[in-house]
Amino acid sequence: MTTTDLLREHAPVRQGTFEALRHRPVVLGLIGLVTLAVAVVAGIGLGSVFIAPGDTVAILARELLGLPVTETWASAHQTIVMELRLPRVLTALVVGTGLSVAGVTFQGLLRNPLADPYVLGTASGAALGAAIGVLLPIQIAWLGLGLANIFAFIGALAAIAIVYRVAGGGGRSTMTSILLTGYAVGSMLAAGLSLAMYLSGSQLRQIFFYLLGSLAGSDWQSLAIGLPVIAIGSILIMSRARSLNGLLLGDDTALHLGVDVRRERAILLALASLVTAAAVALAGLIGFVGLVVPHVVRLVVGPNARLVLPLSAIFGAAFLVWADLGARITGELPVGIITAVIGAPIFVVLLRRYRTGYQL
Amino acid sequence: MEVRTVEQASGRCVSRGFLLAPATTLALAIALIAGTTPWVHAAEAIEAFPRTIVDDEGTTLVLDAQPQRVVSLSPANTEIAFALGAGDRLVGRTDWDDYPAAATAITPVASFTGVDMEQLVALEPDLVLAAGNFFTPPDDIARMRELGFPVVVLYAPDIPTVLTDIELIGAALGADEAAAQMTAAMEAQFDAIGEAVSAVETRPRTFYQVGSEPEIYAPAPGSFVADMVTFAGGDPITTADAAAWSIPLEELLVADPEVIILGDANYGVCPGDVAARPGWNDMTAVVTGAVRPVDDVPVTRPGPRLMQGLAALARAIHPELELAAFPPDPPLCQDG
Amino acid sequence: MSGPGLRVDVEALGLRYGRTEVLSGIDLCVEAGERLCLVGPNGAGKSSLLRCITGLTEPTSGGVRLDGQRLRDLERAAIARSISVVPSQVDLPFSMRVEEVVRLGRLPHENPFTGATPEDLQAVDAAITRVGIDKLRGRDVQQLSMGERQLVLVAMAVAQGGRLIVLDEPTVHLDLRHQVEVMTLLTRLSAGGLTVLAVLHDLPLAAHFFPRLVLLDEGRLVADGAPDEVLSAERIRDVYRVDPRFVPALAASGAP
Repeated sequence: MTTTDLLREHAPVRQGTFEALRHRPVVLGLIGLVTLAVAVVAGIGLGSVFIAPGDTVAILARELLGLPVTETWASAHQTIVMELRLPRVLTALVVGTGLSVAGVTFQGLLRNPLADPYVLGTASGAALGAAIGVLLPIQIAWLGLGLANIFAFIGALAAIAIVYRVAGGGGRSTMTSILLTGYAVGSMLAAGLSLAMYLSGSQLRQIFFYLLGSLAGSDWQSLAIGLPVIAIGSILIMSRARSLNGLLLGDDTALHLGVDVRRERAILLALASLVTAAAVALAGLIGFVGLVVPHVVRLVVGPNARLVLPLSAIFGAAFLVWADLGARITGELPVGIITAVIGAPIFVVLLRRYRTGYQL
Repeated sequence: MEVRTVEQASGRCVSRGFLLAPATTLALAIALIAGTTPWVHAAEAIEAFPRTIVDDEGTTLVLDAQPQRVVSLSPANTEIAFALGAGDRLVGRTDWDDYPAAATAITPVASFTGVDMEQLVALEPDLVLAAGNFFTPPDDIARMRELGFPVVVLYAPDIPTVLTDIELIGAALGADEAAAQMTAAMEAQFDAIGEAVSAVETRPRTFYQVGSEPEIYAPAPGSFVADMVTFAGGDPITTADAAAWSIPLEELLVADPEVIILGDANYGVCPGDVAARPGWNDMTAVVTGAVRPVDDVPVTRPGPRLMQGLAALARAIHPELELAAFPPDPPLCQDG
Repeated sequence: MSGPGLRVDVEALGLRYGRTEVLSGIDLCVEAGERLCLVGPNGAGKSSLLRCITGLTEPTSGGVRLDGQRLRDLERAAIARSISVVPSQVDLPFSMRVEEVVRLGRLPHENPFTGATPEDLQAVDAAITRVGIDKLRGRDVQQLSMGERQLVLVAMAVAQGGRLIVLDEPTVHLDLRHQVEVMTLLTRLSAGGLTVLAVLHDLPLAAHFFPRLVLLDEGRLVADGAPDEVLSAERIRDVYRVDPRFVPALAASGAP
C-alpha cells in the first residue's frame, strides 16, 4: 500500500455549499453583487453624522436621478452625502476592484500565490513618490490631484519599469528573476523612503497615513481620473483571461497551447501595473485586498481566470467598501489597518489549507 | 534678530559667544524687537463686513459677514477666540482644546487623524481657524476650501507673530477692539518682564527640557521656545541646527546647564527623576538644585496666556524674581 | 478528436547557438499515424529537435513541414491546434482539479471572449475516458501520484486535439507500472490514427513499444529504423560508448 493509495482512499467526498457554488459561478456572482450593493447603501447611509435614511434616499433620488423631490433636508446633509460619502464609497469600490484584479493578474503571471499587486516594487515606488510629493515645498494641483497622488502614480510605474528592464524583461528571463529583481528594487526604494521619512520632520504623519492607506481624501476630481483607468484596465485584463489560464502550467506549455507568452506577459504586466498605480494614487497602500480576495475566490471556483477575474473584482470591491465603512465608524482609522486585521488571519488560514491541499 | 545670530554663530549656547555683557544685550534685544518688528496695532477704525483677510500663508479670503459659527482647529485659536469674547460663537474644536473650561462643551471635530469632514460639514461653519506648519493637515485645509468654507491658517513661529495672529483672529471675528486691547496688554506685560529680567545680573545657561524619552529633546536654535528662554533671562541651550529635535547627552554635558527647566513636568517628569539619571549629576544645575518644573502649556501655546508663561519661565530661571503683577504659578511636582 | 494523424517532414534542419552546432543536417519524415521514438545519449539534441518540430525554437537552417505546410508560415494558435505537447511534469501554483487541467488543452480552440463551448467540454470528457482516468475525476491534481499526474497531462494533450502528439521524457519519474500504462496508452492512440513522437532515455522501453527508433548523436541523425537495426551492438558501442552487454538483450523485443 503506497502513501498515495492511502490518500486516495481517504479523499473526502465532495459535497456541500462550496461544491454547489463551484458549479454555479453565476450564483456566486449574484451573491457578490448583492453584498456589494448592501455595502454601498450602508456606506452612503452611515457615517459620523447621522442622516435619516429617508433623507439619504431623497437626496440621491434628486441629485442622481433628477426626480423632483422637495427639499426637506439640511443643505449640510446634502453636502455630506454628495460630496463626502458618495465619492468615497465609489472610490472604495473602484480601488477594491483594481487591487483585486491586479492581484489575480500578478498571481497568474508570477505563478505565485503569495504575489500581490505590490510585489514588483510598486509599493515602495509609490510610497517614495508620495513622500517626495509631500516633502517638496510646492503646492500645485493638476486636475484636482495633489502632488503626492501624482508622484505616487509615477513612482509605482517607474518602479515596475525599472524592475522589468533590470531583469532583462521580455526575453526568456523567467518570472522568477523578475520577482527577485522586484524584491531588490523594492528594498532599495524602501531605503529611500526611510530616509525621506527621517528627514520629513512634522510631515511624517502625512507620509505615515499614506503608507497605511486611506480613503479619507476621496473626491470627485480624483475619481474622475482614476475610475476610467482602473475600469478600462480591468476590462482589458479580463479580455485576456485566456492567456492567464494558458500560463498556469508554465511558459513552455503556454507556448504549446498557442499563447504568445512574451507579448501577453508584457501586456498583462503593463495593464496590471497601470491599474495598481491608479489604485495607489487614489488611496495609498491598502494591503491584503489584492492578496486575499483572489485566493478566497479561487478556493470556491478554481483557478479559471475567466471566473476568478470578475468575481474577484466584485468581492474585492465589496470588501473594501465594507472595510472603509468600518474604518469610518471606528473613528477614522486608516482603512489599511482594517483590511490587515481582517485579511491577515484569513491569509494564515489559507496558507495552512494550501499546505495541506485545498480540500473542502 | 541680533541676539539670535550671535548665539547661532557658535552653534550652541555657550557664554563665550557673547560680545556684550548679558544685561545690555537683553536691553538691546528688546529695543531692537520693539523697533523693527511690526507689532500691528489696530489703529484703523473697525470696518463693517464684508472684509478681506490675508492669513499667515498668504491666502486672501473675503468674509461676507461677521462669522457666527466658528470652528477652531487648534487649542491656541480656541483660547484666543474665548479671550476675545467670541467663545459663544464657537461650534467646533479639536480634541485637545482644554482651556478655558467652557471649551470642553464644544463639539470636537478634529483629532490626531485629522479633521472629521462629515462633522465639520454638519456644523455648517462660516469660519474655520486652522493651524499652519502641518498642525492641521494641509490636505484637510485644501478639502475644506474645496467644499467652500473660509479657512484662515495661522502660524506663529515667533513671539511678535503671536500678537499679529491675535489681531488677525480679531479681524476675522469682528472683534478688532478686543484684540487691540489684548495685544496692548500683552506688550505691556512683555515690557514689564523684560525690565525685571534685565535688572538681574546673571544670564544662566538654561536647558529647557522638551522631553527625555527616548532621546533628549531640546529647542532648536531660533525656535519659539529658545526665544522664550532668552526673553525670560536665560541663555538657551539648543540642538545643533534647526532641523534637529534632539541633543546628544555628551553635548549637553559639555554645555553644562546652570538651570534645567522641566518642560515635560505635565507628563510626570520631576526634579527627583533628573537627579537620578546616570551622568546628569555632574551638571551644575543638578549640583546646585536648579532643576525646576514649569507648566509647558502657557510657555508653548501661542495664545493669550503667553505672557503668563513667560513670567513663569522667568521665575523658574531666576527664582528671586517676584513679578507680582502675574498670578502665582500652580505647584507641579510636590517633591521639588 | 482522432482524425488522420499529422505528417511531419524535417528537411535539412540545422540549429546552432553561437558557435555550438546543436543539430545539423537532420532529415526525417514521419508518416501520418506513425509511432516514433528519438533516442540517443545526453546532449545529442533530441529535445532541441523536438523544440524545432513544435515551433518553440526557430532552426538556423532548413525547416519543418506539417502536412506539407511550412511551420514558420503557421500562426502559433494554428500550430497549437495541430500539435499537442505533453509536458513531462508541471508545477501547479494553484490547486486544480483533473478536469480543469484537461480542459486547458482546449485553450487553442477557445474563443478569447466566450470561453469553453459544449463541444469543448465534450472533448474534455472524451479525453478523460480515452486515457482511462475517469476514476480520478474531481481529484486535486497536486494530490495525485506522479504516474497519475502524467496521465492527466496526456489527457490534456488528447483533449487539445492535435493530430501529432509529442512527448519529451514522459516516464522519467514513473514507476514501472505507470511507465507501461503510459506506453500502452500511446500505442492505443496511435492505433486510433494519431502520429506519436516521443523522446525516451529508457532503451528497452523504447525498443519494446516503438516500431521505429531514430538515433541521434552529437546533433546528427545516425540511424533510423526498427529497434533491432538501430540498437545494434556496434551502435551501442559507438554512440553510447558502453559495452553492449550492459544493455539487456534487445533482439528479443521487437516492435509489437
